[in-house]
Amino acid sequence: MSVFARISNGFARELRFLARNPWDLALLTWLPLALCAIIAWQLSAGVIRDLPVALVDQERGALARDVAIRIEGAPGLRLAYHAQDMAEAERMARAGAVEAIVLIPREVTARAFEGRGQITLYVNAAHSAASSTIQRELAGIIGAANGRVAIEQMAAVLPPGTVRAAPLAASSAIAFNAPASQEQQLVSLLHPALLHLLFMLAVVSAFGRELRDASVAEWRPDLAAMAGKAAPYVLAFMVWGALATGYLAGLRGWTLAGGPALLMTGYLAMFVAYTGVALLLVGATRCMSQSLSLTGLYAGASFAFAGAIFPVDQASSFAKVWAEILPFTHFARLIALDWVSGAEASVAVAPLLPLAIIMLVTGVPGAWLFLRASRRPQDWGRR
Amino acid sequence: MWAAFRAVFAAIFADRAAALLLLGAPLLYAVLYPSAYAGEIVEDVPVVVVDMDRTAASRDLIIRAGATQQSRIVASLASPAEAERWLASDRASAAILIPEGYGRAIAQGRSGQIVLTGSGAHLLRSSSALGGIGAALGSTAREAAFEQARAAGPAAPPAMQLVTRPLFNTREGYGAAVFPGVAFVIVHQSLLLGLALLAGTARERLGAPLSVTPAQFAGLGLAAAMIAMVQVCWFAGFVFWWQDYPRGAAPLWQVLAGGMLFVAATAALVLLLASLFRTRERPLQLGLGISLPLFFLSGLTWPAAATPAPVLWLARLFPTTPGLELMVGLNQMGGSLADYAAALFNLAVLAAVFGALAFWRWTSPRGLPALPVRAARDLSGSA
Repeated sequence: MSVFARISNGFARELRFLARNPWDLALLTWLPLALCAIIAWQLSAGVIRDLPVALVDQERGALARDVAIRIEGAPGLRLAYHAQDMAEAERMARAGAVEAIVLIPREVTARAFEGRGQITLYVNAAHSAASSTIQRELAGIIGAANGRVAIEQMAAVLPPGTVRAAPLAASSAIAFNAPASQEQQLVSLLHPALLHLLFMLAVVSAFGRELRDASVAEWRPDLAAMAGKAAPYVLAFMVWGALATGYLAGLRGWTLAGGPALLMTGYLAMFVAYTGVALLLVGATRCMSQSLSLTGLYAGASFAFAGAIFPVDQASSFAKVWAEILPFTHFARLIALDWVSGAEASVAVAPLLPLAIIMLVTGVPGAWLFLRASRRPQDWGRR
Repeated sequence: MWAAFRAVFAAIFADRAAALLLLGAPLLYAVLYPSAYAGEIVEDVPVVVVDMDRTAASRDLIIRAGATQQSRIVASLASPAEAERWLASDRASAAILIPEGYGRAIAQGRSGQIVLTGSGAHLLRSSSALGGIGAALGSTAREAAFEQARAAGPAAPPAMQLVTRPLFNTREGYGAAVFPGVAFVIVHQSLLLGLALLAGTARERLGAPLSVTPAQFAGLGLAAAMIAMVQVCWFAGFVFWWQDYPRGAAPLWQVLAGGMLFVAATAALVLLLASLFRTRERPLQLGLGISLPLFFLSGLTWPAAATPAPVLWLARLFPTTPGLELMVGLNQMGGSLADYAAALFNLAVLAAVFGALAFWRWTSPRGLPALPVRAARDLSGSA
């Protein structure tokens, strides 16, 4: 039999199995769709809006009313409560009814004339995404209120010529993601994070099942047949990768700064690298349930280690090494370079190299171990 | 009842995969997961400067910006275009641009303008770098104001100052913001996968739906709840202390009572789902992928205010959503049970409904009417 015929035999054999087993088919059809859709739907607001804030007004003056109006006007905030005192506001924060408390103390307006006015913002730091949005919005609100106080009130009391603009002005901007939307950042990473885990579970199941059911005896695999067997999974998840990219880049308008070709090459390299790891786990344990448990351990926490949201640069050296041996980390780097910032192709291809290395280092011994197990009946049927 | 209770533990110790999931996973994840977040705060973000002014004032600003904890100056570049290339290729996460005329403007008593740009590829990293540089600018501005005052009299002091205080996660570490929630997803997944694997194995050996007496069902439920409660105590009592996360803010009996309700709802759902599996490996295949969506649905990182209402309702069907709200509230935010009445009610309803369904599934001899057909198909497929 020619190589091509053996590949297509393996391919057709796997498709026949999937057609008979709806739950194995689910792992590459509706389960990725459902999980990706839930995440996409949840984060579809993109920019966080209307976070509830409580205002504790101890002064009862024009300043508090001004701040209240500005909070209502800020797109990220919503004035949910006028609390009587701090104790009541803190209760609301604990119960999750508000994400932050703005405290306007007594006599703050009088102190503002001396340049000592102080407004305190308490943010719920247990909710990180919400707290950073609130801090940014409120800094803007106080800055604007300051400008008004300076112009309207201080100019009236201070001698002429002394009211000048502050000596330093900075304008800051976020490059490549102007609205600082977390939708692009989170969804572009969460979709591949879900897909690679489901992909690895599917491939581990596909190969582990053959040893468990001793069906290798009848199949008698070689490298070409194994490639044919893995192909339906790689193809199906490439389609999901393309759809996830199309959803975010096309439907939601987060245009690919680089190009789709490099991103899809990255998806392919990532899936092939995870195929190598899957083979290594199945070949080493020769037990489907243990390989699946180890898959959960290896690929289940990738999102935390990829360093795309929270940096791993300061983490322990163990965490840094662990991050490097996860293909998802390199794929996340590719997303940052190719999708978000649109780096030159010569720079953006860099993450493909470690993916290729992981593929070889795990795939070669993995395939050898699996082929060896496929010829040793004592390795079959382990649960 | 006690025979069934003991039988669960005997089965766990006889099954390596189940023991790994139920006993090994909480131990491994207690080390593995926090190690990714061991950095806790963002430090030494690479920043590039473009100094087109080249005066004493601009050099002073650069030195101060480099001296902050959050940022590290990695290069001084000749043009903004070069800085953009550094950002695009991900070699720097933020850029400071000092245009020509900055020093002269300050010397003349006008505002010196600078431009700060963060990279959209890493929102958290770039915004903390910009925050650190902002603090450095504040001190530069004070000195510049002093210089200017010698010539033109004092500038207007900023009338009001915004002081931000973090509530609950007072060190604002990102591990402390994420792991206290993730721990309860780990408990949920460990119990679900471990017990469903055992139930699937038992059913596979029996070749028919499992059926137990009400007393035996109580024993199963008690065993499941005990395993989960030990895990809750392990995380909330030891791991949070060991990793030095905010913890134990509420009275102990309240944490235990809240934990028991979370455990009851989780055990009820796990028993219900466990009764559905017919193959040993199936729960691992289908269940491992839902961890990440479960965590995001809980609303700890993505606020409920920015989540579409149908997704919020869906999220309430899983014990992890009210469980995380309750346990993070009690452990980290110092709330009392009364603050989380809605979450407690949610958990109680889930425990009652899932518990009743699970009781019916386990104690009725035939199970669902459609089941024999599906069971036969599954057995023929996996054979």
